[in-house]
Amino acid sequence: MTHRLFMLDVPENTQIAAVAAEAPDVTVDRLGPYFVIASDKPVVIDRRASGARHAVWYSCVGGLEGCRIVQWDKDALRLEQR
Amino acid sequence: MSSLSDQHLVRGVDHAAFPTFDPVGTVRFYRDTLGFPVVHSICAAGWGPEDHPDFIHFFFDIGNDDRIAFFYYFGLPKPEVAKGDVYAQFGEETPDWFVRSRHLAIHVDGEDHLMEYRRRLDASQWPVEMQIQHETIESIYTHDPNGYMVEITRALRPVTPQEDLDANLTIDALVDIAQRPGHGMDDLLVRKAELIVERAGAWQAEQEVPR
Repeated sequence: MTHRLFMLDVPENTQIAAVAAEAPDVTVDRLGPYFVIASDKPVVIDRRASGARHAVWYSCVGGLEGCRIVQWDKDALRLEQR
Repeated sequence: MSSLSDQHLVRGVDHAAFPTFDPVGTVRFYRDTLGFPVVHSICAAGWGPEDHPDFIHFFFDIGNDDRIAFFYYFGLPKPEVAKGDVYAQFGEETPDWFVRSRHLAIHVDGEDHLMEYRRRLDASQWPVEMQIQHETIESIYTHDPNGYMVEITRALRPVTPQEDLDANLTIDALVDIAQRPGHGMDDLLVRKAELIVERAGAWQAEQEVPR
């Protein structure tokens, strides 16, 4: 079952979505002004690879459909199927 | 229906008012350090209830014709402040992030203006305590002589239209979930995803219609 994370397309989030798209099981699409980060597997986004400073990192998630956040710290954001 | 009924009519802060027990420090901080002109003051004999003291109500311009104002009540004893400010005191168990959550943020137009206020504060007895880049703003912080936290902030970039949409979806989601017992961030993000699916596509289409 595919789950989706929505992330607002603003300059601060662009690189976070780009890092998410590098994983083989992840697709990044668009819905209006949001990136839609979709997968049917757990998703891990590495914070350092994204270059996001902490304030940006900890406010980058716009919405969760079918998944829950199991890790959101200085290292990574990890999503698993709900 | 009135022609005004659907309009957003307000024009910023007329004044935000705070008590002070240190009028000298307050003037040193706002007028002499930050350079905010004194623009109004009232010398008032106590009125109303019999125990109302005589007072001075004085105002500093904070730009844009907005004002910060103080009340100095003659003879009113100053409270003991372990944590908080002269208006609101807290016990040691209250977290600092909560105490700091209520503050006044004053806008400047750019980095050089922010750094100019940093220079003025750092040369005073109220130096900048923190300088932080948030999501889309950069801010400096200090506490005034009354213990009130003052932030001066600049935008790192202009706000984009999609951020207004996003803010409205967040608040609609919050209103929807905030009365559920035990609600948390997960509830909000799940509800917000539903609202994104409902509304984000239509919003985008609306933006693309030639005006």
